[in-house]
Amino acid sequence: MIKAIIYFIILAVIYGVLYYFNHKTPKPEGCENLRSSCEGCNITSCMAHPNNDRLFKEENKNA
Amino acid sequence: MGEILTMALAAVLINNVVLSKFLGVCPFLGVSKNSKSAVGMGLAVIFVIFGASLITYFLYYQVLVKMHIEYMQLITFILVIAAFVQFVEMFIKKYSASLYKNLGIYLPLITTNCVVLYVAQDNITQGYNLIETMTNAIAVPLGFMLVLYLFSCIRERLDSADTPESFKGNPIALVVAGLMALAFSGLTGIV
Repeated sequence: MIKAIIYFIILAVIYGVLYYFNHKTPKPEGCENLRSSCEGCNITSCMAHPNNDRLFKEENKNA
Repeated sequence: MGEILTMALAAVLINNVVLSKFLGVCPFLGVSKNSKSAVGMGLAVIFVIFGASLITYFLYYQVLVKMHIEYMQLITFILVIAAFVQFVEMFIKKYSASLYKNLGIYLPLITTNCVVLYVAQDNITQGYNLIETMTNAIAVPLGFMLVLYLFSCIRERLDSADTPESFKGNPIALVVAGLMALAFSGLTGIV
């Protein structure tokens, strides 16, 4: 059980570190406002959902 | 060699992950508006599934089995896929602007694509060896890309077709998806 918990923590930390570095890596020039052509399904929390356009614009304004 | 080819052909045409297992339906409907997006999404899925399958295969047999914690399989695969997608996105952002322009927007969508998890799980539950795992990891997303591309071409034609108002958009797309599933089921038995 202890092995499993330690293993899980290691995996979660690896994911967290990669997420952090990915978030910190600047997007290449000309790719700041890329949007997918997704028309949207019922998963409204998905970043590609058209409902999140407003949030996306605000995020880019702050960046 | 013959078995590998049969397995690949079956994964692409007969046991197509979208039309026979109904997985990956969200990007199938969401990113099939035009064929260019469909090809971009398909290529990104092939790349991620191949990489994630190899990593999960080695992690399962070299770590989980040896530590006797096979019950951690599902959570491991989910975290590995999510971490791999983050890594690939970061790498592409840093080293290839043109590739990021083409594939970048699809990478976050792939994290939630259940096909990636299905292939990783399938490789283990079917007891595939490394060659079979690699074949499965190429053939399944290739089938996904094929169907996505065909569907996007049909949807492009549908945009200019005289469709009844109540059928426009997703309703007619779902009817087409059903017809495609029927058509592909006709290929059962070719191998």
